[in-house]
Amino acid sequence: MITIDRLSKSYRTVQGPLEVFNEFSLDLEEGRITAILGPSGCGKTTLLHMIAQMEGYDSGAITGVPRSGTTSVASLSYLFQEPRLLPWMTVFENVDLVLQNHLPDRHERHERADQFIELVGLSGYAHLTPKELSGGMKQRAAIARAFAYPSQLILMDEPFQSLDADLRFQLIAAYGLLWQHNPRTTLLVTHDIQEALLLSDTIHVLSSRPASIRGSIAVPVDRGSRRVGNRDLWELEMNYYDKFSARG
Amino acid sequence: MKHSTWRNSLISLITVVILLVIWQIASVIMDAQIILPRPLVVLQEFFSFFASPDSWLAIGATVLRSLRSFAIIMAAGLVLGIAAGQNTAFGAVMKPILSVIRATPVLAIILLAFLWFKTGTVPVFSAFLMGFPVLYQNLIMGLSKRDTKLLEMGRAYGLDGRQLLRYITIPSLLPFILAGARGALGMTWKVVIAAEVLTVPRYGVGSSMQYAQMNLETATVMGWTITAIVLTACGDLLFDAIDAALGMGMRSRRSRL
Repeated sequence: MITIDRLSKSYRTVQGPLEVFNEFSLDLEEGRITAILGPSGCGKTTLLHMIAQMEGYDSGAITGVPRSGTTSVASLSYLFQEPRLLPWMTVFENVDLVLQNHLPDRHERHERADQFIELVGLSGYAHLTPKELSGGMKQRAAIARAFAYPSQLILMDEPFQSLDADLRFQLIAAYGLLWQHNPRTTLLVTHDIQEALLLSDTIHVLSSRPASIRGSIAVPVDRGSRRVGNRDLWELEMNYYDKFSARG
Repeated sequence: MKHSTWRNSLISLITVVILLVIWQIASVIMDAQIILPRPLVVLQEFFSFFASPDSWLAIGATVLRSLRSFAIIMAAGLVLGIAAGQNTAFGAVMKPILSVIRATPVLAIILLAFLWFKTGTVPVFSAFLMGFPVLYQNLIMGLSKRDTKLLEMGRAYGLDGRQLLRYITIPSLLPFILAGARGALGMTWKVVIAAEVLTVPRYGVGSSMQYAQMNLETATVMGWTITAIVLTACGDLLFDAIDAALGMGMRSRRSRL
């Protein structure tokens, strides 16, 4: 289990310190998808950065983040808002690159890269460079990279937001399917309740700065039946609006 | 699209022919070989160089000087450019030095270098001073446009420093390095030949131009000018080939890492 314990973080700005987190605590259950739902600018991305050791924090502790080998480097997959593929490499090479330090055996590595490219439905496009792909295909390639990478934790920073509605739900479904075959501890940050309901087991609703958890929603709906318009998800969505939106 | 590029090439070709015709007519009207020799005479002069060993020595000397200067530019430009990109304090040291070099007239540099160095070194040194800022500036621009988001991705996926450099930093800088190298080489030809004209080393395209000019052999001066243009064009073609090869590499790299 990953534990975030009384984490505090503030930025220095011209107008004085900007408090993003003040004694923020949260547990991430192993092998589950946890969603953090919050307004823009409430520090969701900062939270992911701190877990990924891309940013420091002022006080508190984050424990239980899987390490790679015997090092102190966090071993995790990161899905960014943008696909962040290397433009001078093909889809295949982009996936293969992140595996290099983990699978020294070339044959094994290529097989794994191919396997995950196939799982996201990009088999015929592995030899293309990102600029030859559509936005949705690029994000699929990024998802293949995230799952092919042998990590125990996946961090997702609104990776579906830049896509139009149809494509977004398609990709969320594809992601859900892939996750079911390779369940890993996942933290999804989003400001979209539907996205959170479709993907996660637990949703924590965040307040604006400094962020605190206003409440949590469990999503006890079978993954196989999760789709837009599902009655149970729809009820959870209505409950969410009743409980959290009226005040905002 | 295809039709219009074909049409534009034709227009360019016709322009060249018209300019040659004007040159021919003007030289016939003036009828003074010293002022304006006929195009055919100049062309004859140009091709006569191929038969003369001394001309080859001159061309060889100029090419060697240019390449030597270019090699120093590449080494110094890459090292100092990347250093300035990593360390802003070092960049701040370089900034005024670059500004002074860029603002100094080429001829002033050549004349000063003539006081400091022996004849054959002056073209190499002057071309270095003029070409270096071209590469350096391009590198700085490339480093400032570097995509930090890709580096962030690389670090998140556990790539080490060497891998970040090889797979992210260098490929992203490559277009800027190529553009800078192309500009620096173009500059090198011009400055080397100008310095040769002024300092007259034993062999050199510029030296040959200077001798011909003193003897009022206008056609020979023009023949050497064509040689200089051809050398510059060869450099450009070389870079076109490199660009094309890299572009092809991108596409055809179906092979695996």
